[in-house]
Amino acid sequence: MSFSTELRQIGVIARLELRRAFLSKRSFWVYLLALFPAVIFIGHAVEVHVRQQRWSRQAMASPAVIDRLQRGMSYREVIRATGEPLRDFEWERRSRDDEFEYKMRHVLVFDGRRRTDLTFRNDLLESIRTRPLASLDEDRQVFAGVFQFFFLRVGVFFGCLGIFLNLFRGEMLDKTLHFWLLAPARREVLLLGKYASGLIASSVIFTLSALLCFTALLWAQDPVEVQQYWAAGAGHELSRYLLAAVLGCVGYGSVFLAAGLLVRNPIVPIVLVLFWEGINGFLPSMLQKVSVLFYLQSVCPTPAPIEADTPALVRLILSPAAPVPVYGAVLGLLGLTGVVLWAASRVVRKIEIDYATD
Amino acid sequence: MSAPQIVFDDVSKFYGDVLGVNRVTLNIPPGITSLVGPNGSGKTTLMNLIAGLIRPDRGTVRVRGISPEDPEHLMRVLGYATQYDAAPRGMTGLDFVAMALMLHGMSESDANKHAWQALDRVNLTDAAKRKVGAYSKGMRQRVRLAQALAHEPDVLVLDEPLNGLDPLVRAETIASFREYADQGRHVLLSSHVLQEVDVFSDQVILIANGAIMAEGEIRSVRDEIKEHPSQYLLRCRDTARVAALLFGEVDVNEVKVLEDGSGLLVMTRNRDGLASALAGIALSGIEIDGVIPADENVDALYEYLIGGGR
Repeated sequence: MSFSTELRQIGVIARLELRRAFLSKRSFWVYLLALFPAVIFIGHAVEVHVRQQRWSRQAMASPAVIDRLQRGMSYREVIRATGEPLRDFEWERRSRDDEFEYKMRHVLVFDGRRRTDLTFRNDLLESIRTRPLASLDEDRQVFAGVFQFFFLRVGVFFGCLGIFLNLFRGEMLDKTLHFWLLAPARREVLLLGKYASGLIASSVIFTLSALLCFTALLWAQDPVEVQQYWAAGAGHELSRYLLAAVLGCVGYGSVFLAAGLLVRNPIVPIVLVLFWEGINGFLPSMLQKVSVLFYLQSVCPTPAPIEADTPALVRLILSPAAPVPVYGAVLGLLGLTGVVLWAASRVVRKIEIDYATD
Repeated sequence: MSAPQIVFDDVSKFYGDVLGVNRVTLNIPPGITSLVGPNGSGKTTLMNLIAGLIRPDRGTVRVRGISPEDPEHLMRVLGYATQYDAAPRGMTGLDFVAMALMLHGMSESDANKHAWQALDRVNLTDAAKRKVGAYSKGMRQRVRLAQALAHEPDVLVLDEPLNGLDPLVRAETIASFREYADQGRHVLLSSHVLQEVDVFSDQVILIANGAIMAEGEIRSVRDEIKEHPSQYLLRCRDTARVAALLFGEVDVNEVKVLEDGSGLLVMTRNRDGLASALAGIALSGIEIDGVIPADENVDALYEYLIGGGR
């Protein structure tokens, strides 16, 4: 049979399987998993916009006035310059013997874009902290963290599990696998067709989710800042995230497709792969390369932030192994996927229908 | 050159510790071959081995020279209507047939055209656009048959294909099997309706407990069963006289007068001997209206070789 015929068969199988991959009741929760981080970022953006509109209606100071504020100014001078603040809260500091020590005051003013927190001690301006309602740098760090710790390790991992594990195992449970095995196609062609359908479905779901998260992240920011960020290479950063999402589907998809051929109980592969990916940081560098996450971390544009007070063990699990260049990561992951699919093709050749016998 | 055959060479299949079939050697020629045996005897196992849905633990299977481990070639010449009732979720009857044809390399429009024709052959065009999941048992049976027939295979393997079919469709289906077989193709089917199998089968394979009990044309299989004398139904008016004459024949083992007195049931181990005895009786002027073999049918073979419990 010619290569072009086999390619066409892969296309037909993938097309027939796409509806199942997208709309299978068994893996409907994948959508919830993919949408969860998007809900967080959209929620954040909505909150920023709502607050901005509410504060702008309530009381708005001139940005120039805020920039002219200096430590040591009296409360009256500040209020005269800024006008009515958004918040004005006063309290007293007392000793253990309940003797008055000093008076503190917190004042919040807003210039339509930035919030400024002013702290007064005995009515003299002690500190000025101005920041935008949403901080792009901060949010990018949050995005990097959410993407690596949740999106890849949980979303793509379990999402691929839900989609790819069912490609063969689900057919076995539904007693429909014979439909495919009676097709005039090599078993390897069937495997690749099903893999392609799972890959298309998972990639569409997770890249759209990543895109939605990123769009929400930008929507929360100041438009001028977004423009500067875009000019400074936001598109490149976004493409790296999308590439990581697709590669995650490529890698985990092959692993769970093979697992669906080998085992009936999905708990076993979940635990094994999760454990292997989890201990990646402990492994010698040679073994680290036999991990999907190893390559995905190298593709991500920003290292995930890890708090200084994170316990050492958790830090070891979460911290990325020594990154490799992006092209190396892509080739490495494709190589790893090729090996897994080759192993799966050996199994699929021997697969038998055993859901009923006479 | 000899006709292409389906060949089982010393084939065994076990499901763990459970026997599927054991050391089966068969040469199935073209024509309609019926697989007959009780539930769990190994009929479906044999069919699945032919289609490559399972692999033998021992021995080899060849279907018209093609190994079942070569599905890309085998499935072009083989159509299999399995006993499995389910179709991939959400598929309509038309999808079910057309999509299989697309995997044969047909374009979508050609596949749809051929699928309609196949569905028409099994009288299912009215329900073609309904989901297979909503079909009745008989309709599912028919859609599987349509799928197996749609690419005009040389080998049709059909697991209980007549189950759930109404009499008209059943008759049409049997006629189409006959037509198929007459073109030098293989039609291998399993059936529990032994009377029907009798009518349309060119040969039978009797199977029990995973072992082949007998195979071949019904008459030759019957001839092989020496422990049971052949039974013939004699229609005649003067039953007492004919019975008395037959008792004197060495080749006649037993004669019974039928309860309604319309004839005799004669048992013999020598069919030719009985034939010459009857010729002699007829020549003596006694009228014999007809002689019908009473146990040259699958029902009797089944009873002799496998016993009750079907």
